[in-house]
Amino acid sequence: MAALALGLAYAGFLLLSLAMDRHHRELLGGAPPRVRRLACRLGGAASLGLSILPCFALWGWSIGPVAWCGVLTLAAFGLVALLAFAPRAALLLAPLLPAVGFTAWFGLD
Amino acid sequence: MKQGFRQCMAWLHTWAGLIPGWILFAVFLTGTASYYRGEISAWMRPDLRFEGSAPEATTLAVRELQRIAPDAVSWLIGVPTAADPLIRLYWRPKQERRFRDAILDPATGRVAERGESKGGEFFYRFHFELHLPPIWGRWIVGACAMAMLVAILSGVITHRRIFADFFTFRPGKAAGRSWLDAHNALAVLALPYHLVITYTGLITLMTMYMPWGVQLAYKGNQQAFLAEALAFTAPPRPAGQPAPLTDMAPLLATALERWPEAGVRRISVQWPGDANATIILSRGDGPELAIRRRELVFAGSSGELRDATGRDAPAVLTAGTALRLHFGRFEGPVLRGLFLLSGLAGTAMVGTGLVLWAAKRAPKGAARRGFGLRLVEALNMGTVFGLPLAMLGFFWANRLLPAALPLRAEWEIRVFFALWLLAYLHAALRPGRRGWAEQAGVAALLGLLLPVLNLLTTHHHLGVTLPAGDWLLAGMDLGLAGFGLAFALAALKLWRAPQRAAVPLGRMRAEGA
Repeated sequence: MAALALGLAYAGFLLLSLAMDRHHRELLGGAPPRVRRLACRLGGAASLGLSILPCFALWGWSIGPVAWCGVLTLAAFGLVALLAFAPRAALLLAPLLPAVGFTAWFGLD
Repeated sequence: MKQGFRQCMAWLHTWAGLIPGWILFAVFLTGTASYYRGEISAWMRPDLRFEGSAPEATTLAVRELQRIAPDAVSWLIGVPTAADPLIRLYWRPKQERRFRDAILDPATGRVAERGESKGGEFFYRFHFELHLPPIWGRWIVGACAMAMLVAILSGVITHRRIFADFFTFRPGKAAGRSWLDAHNALAVLALPYHLVITYTGLITLMTMYMPWGVQLAYKGNQQAFLAEALAFTAPPRPAGQPAPLTDMAPLLATALERWPEAGVRRISVQWPGDANATIILSRGDGPELAIRRRELVFAGSSGELRDATGRDAPAVLTAGTALRLHFGRFEGPVLRGLFLLSGLAGTAMVGTGLVLWAAKRAPKGAARRGFGLRLVEALNMGTVFGLPLAMLGFFWANRLLPAALPLRAEWEIRVFFALWLLAYLHAALRPGRRGWAEQAGVAALLGLLLPVLNLLTTHHHLGVTLPAGDWLLAGMDLGLAGFGLAFALAALKLWRAPQRAAVPLGRMRAEGA
C-alpha cells in the first residue's frame, strides 16, 4: 500500500509539473494548451490528495499524515531526479507506479 | 540600509545559515544516524543480540543485576526490541551519583566484558551534546537550532520562485547554478520535515532553554512539575529491612495484557532487596502518534499492583506528539526509511548551502582567495566529506580495535575525532577539487570495504546474514556500502570533471540566490 501512495503522489507531482511551461516543453514539447494545463493542475491535485488515503489505511489516522509527508517528499525527489537525468522514464513511471501499487495492494489481499 | 525586505532576508539567510552551518551539518548527520541507533549498536555488538521474549530477557537481567549490584539504589533494564536487540543494564550503586551501564551477554548470562563500544549511543549523544560537557553542548546545539529555524524561514522568503522552480534541477549548468538548484530542491521538497525536525528538536529540551514557566508555576520545584506533567512516581524510602524481590514474570504478564501492542520497554527497580522495593514497568511506543508515558508501579516484595500512572492532558499529549515526531521511533522499515531519507535531505541541504556560499564568492581565474573564503572552504570540505568519513571510520575502529583493549569505547571515539581532525588538516593543505575528490575516495573505500572487513573479522558477514534473512545486520552492511558507493561516484565525478569557470558574482545575486 505504501507503493500505491508513492505512485499516486508521483503521478500527482508529474501532472502538476506538466502544467508548467518549462517541464511541459521538456517532456511533451511546446507550451501546454489552456485546457490541458487546467486538466493537469486538477488531476495532479486530485492525485496528490488521493495519495493520503493509502497512508491512512496503512498507518492509521494519527501517523498516516506523517507518513504522507514523507511519501510526498520521496515522490518529489524522485521526480526531480528523473526530470534531470531521465525525462522519458519520468513520463513512463507516472501510469506505471500507481498500477504497480494497485496490483501490490490487491495481490496481497 | 535602504534595502528591500527580500534582500534583508537574503542577508539573514546567508549568515544565519553559514555561521552555525558546520555544527548544523554535524547535528543533522549524526541525528539522521540516530534513527538507526539501536541497529548501529547491534551491529557493533553482534554477538550480544537477544532474540527471545521480553520476560526471558527480564529474568536474565534481574539474575545478573542481583549478582553484580544487589545493594544498588536502583536498577534500570532496557528491554530488547526488534530494532534495538540488546539487553541494557543500568544501576546506581550507593554513594554514587551516576548510573553505571553495561550490556548483558545472553550466551553467558553475565555482563559483557569484551568488545566494549558506545555504538549508536555515541552518534545520538553527539547529535545534541557534541561530545562536550552536556550543559555546554545542549546550549550550543540549541542556539544553532534556533538559527536553523531562522535560516529556514528567511530562506523561504528569499526564494522568489519557490513554485516556479519547484521541480527544477539543472545539473549541467554552471556550478553555482546547479548548487543553488540542488539547495532549493532539497530545502523545498522536504520543507515540512526541516521545519518540524528543527522545531521539535528545540521542544525536546524546552524546559532547559525556557525554564521560566516551570519556575513561576511550580515555584522552581522541577520535581513537582515532572510529577504532574509526566506522572513520575516519587522514589520510595528504604525500609532498612532486607526482603527478596518478587518474581517479575507475573508483573510483566499483567503489563503485556494492558499494552498488547506497545509492550514493556523499560523496567526500573528502586531499592532492590529492601522491604520497600518498588518495581516500575514503562510502556513502549504505541500505534498512536503521541508518546504516552504509562507506568505500572508494583510493590517489590509482594508484587502487588500499587498504581497505574499516565496522563493525557492536552499539553502532555502535544509534547508527546512533538517528541515522537522528533525521535522518529516507528515500527516498520518504511516510515523510518522515509525519516532517514528526509534526514539525509536535511543534511544535504545544509551541505549544499555551505558549498554554495563558497562557490558564489570564489574569484575567477587565478585571483587570490582571501583568508575568510579559504577558511570556509576548508571547513566545508572537512565537514561535508570529513564527517561522514570519520563516521565510517568509527565503524572500522569498532571492528579493528582489540576486544580486550582497556577503555575500548573511548578509543573508538578517539579514532573518530582523529580522522575528523585529519580531514580538516587535509582540507587546509589540499584545497579545491582534488582535495574533495581525495576525501570522497577515502570515504568510498571505507564504506565499500566495510562488508569485506566484516567478513575478515566477524561471523556476521553478508555471506551469513543474507541467506539467514538477518536483515538488521545485512541492511546495515548494505546501507553503509551504499554510502560508500555514493562517495565513489562523487569521487569519480570530481576527479574527472575539469575545473569550471566560477559563475560571476553579480549574476548569481541578481537571480536571487
